[in-house]
Amino acid sequence: MSRAREIEQTAASWLVRREQPDWSAEQDAALQRWIAESMEHRAAFWRLEIGWAATERLAAMRAPERPERRRVPWLAPAFAIAASLLIVCSFAILVLGGNGTKPPEMVQIATAIGGRKQVDLPDGSQITLNTASTMRASVADGRRRVWLDRGEAFFDVAHVEKRPFTVFAGDSKVTVLGTKFSIRRDGDTTIVTVAQGRVRVEDLEADDDQRATVITAGDRIVARGTSTLVAKQSSQWVEDSLSWRRGVLTFDQVALEDAVREFNRYNKRQIRIRDPQAAAIRIGGSFDARDIDAFARLLRTAFGLRVTSNEDTITIIS
Amino acid sequence: MVDDDALRAWFATEVLPFERELMRFISRHSRQSEDAIDIRQESYERALTGARGGLPLSARRYVFTVARNVLIDRARRARVVSFEQIADLESIATEEDTFSPDHQFEARDELRRAMAGLEQLPPRCREVVRLRRVEGLSIRETAARLGVGEHTVERQLTLGLRALVDFMHGGEGRIDRTRRGPSKHRKVER
Repeated sequence: MSRAREIEQTAASWLVRREQPDWSAEQDAALQRWIAESMEHRAAFWRLEIGWAATERLAAMRAPERPERRRVPWLAPAFAIAASLLIVCSFAILVLGGNGTKPPEMVQIATAIGGRKQVDLPDGSQITLNTASTMRASVADGRRRVWLDRGEAFFDVAHVEKRPFTVFAGDSKVTVLGTKFSIRRDGDTTIVTVAQGRVRVEDLEADDDQRATVITAGDRIVARGTSTLVAKQSSQWVEDSLSWRRGVLTFDQVALEDAVREFNRYNKRQIRIRDPQAAAIRIGGSFDARDIDAFARLLRTAFGLRVTSNEDTITIIS
Repeated sequence: MVDDDALRAWFATEVLPFERELMRFISRHSRQSEDAIDIRQESYERALTGARGGLPLSARRYVFTVARNVLIDRARRARVVSFEQIADLESIATEEDTFSPDHQFEARDELRRAMAGLEQLPPRCREVVRLRRVEGLSIRETAARLGVGEHTVERQLTLGLRALVDFMHGGEGRIDRTRRGPSKHRKVER
């Protein structure tokens, strides 16, 4: 078997196993390590992952269910939401058991670029998934677990005594009982922002409890590899950073290049800046994340920047 | 530096839609003994590595240029190849491969395409993929339903997934029956 085929075979095994109900956080960490190992691995894995996701519509061919084969209640709301979201042209796959004898363990939800999705879990918790994100949730054996595979999500966790809610994001493990917080993954960096309550963040790589950090409302933790940074933010800042839940991007004295980077997460049509001086301009305001033309107009009129646009790019020239 | 999410998104929307065209280009210009899949993957790897420093304006032109360089490098490494052949490769204008929109699949065609891809898999493999993708069964449930071992189901599913993905990207969607083992050069399949 050639090298490329061998890597493809390995990538396919990961992809198949990731969808299985017994997929664990340890396996997920191992997969993330494998992906990060080389660009060869990323190329093979992404190619399969993207092509496989394109076959998700096959689930629409599933024969209608007979009433006696009802799904286990806790996933029903998520299923209903996912089904309705299919209509609004996003995709969601549910990894469910096909017969009613065994409870389904895992639900997987994904959003496309510019997409946003809300998932109601039966324990009363609510998850809002931001643009280009993938997550899996499992409620089994008295545990509530979520894997944020990529992108960003906001968690409004219902308080359930003795039933911790755990989110795995890259090398970080976030544990809460009941609270509101968001997690964003950006390459090897994981950012946790707490809106309400307390959150415990651990480094999965560390073998003792020394690496756990407890943060509270208004705190923001940035974890990258083995280093973590905690910053206290104003409640206004936290609220602004969560405005994506309304489809709005809010900036307060943010460098144009950083604002553009945010916009580019939500749109296929990308904004590029050619002039480093323009990139450093500080801007503020609230914008519709999907309306990059309005944003470009503002740069033109309010900042006097030269902007050209075509079908797939908006270029800030100077 | 472009982060992994942006890089993946670029790969998904700007690069992969041209895979069918890229494979034709590679097959046309590679030696018979070379594996087009190896060349494709090396091109993707180099393209992604390069794009990490900044996404190119035209992904298509960029990827074809990268593929051309991979072909030239491979030809140089193979000592038996004459200079004329390398010169031939160097004169390839990647732009000549005109943009063909029919190779980009619309999202609404995805279901039809996925169904066709599923249909042309060998029967056993098709059933395993169907139970996973359509019925949503796990490997264990599939094994129980079909009365075969979980290992068999996993292998069939892995092969079926690769073939179906290949079909979704514009390939023939054939099962790759080569077993793991010493690397053997194969004839280009497409």
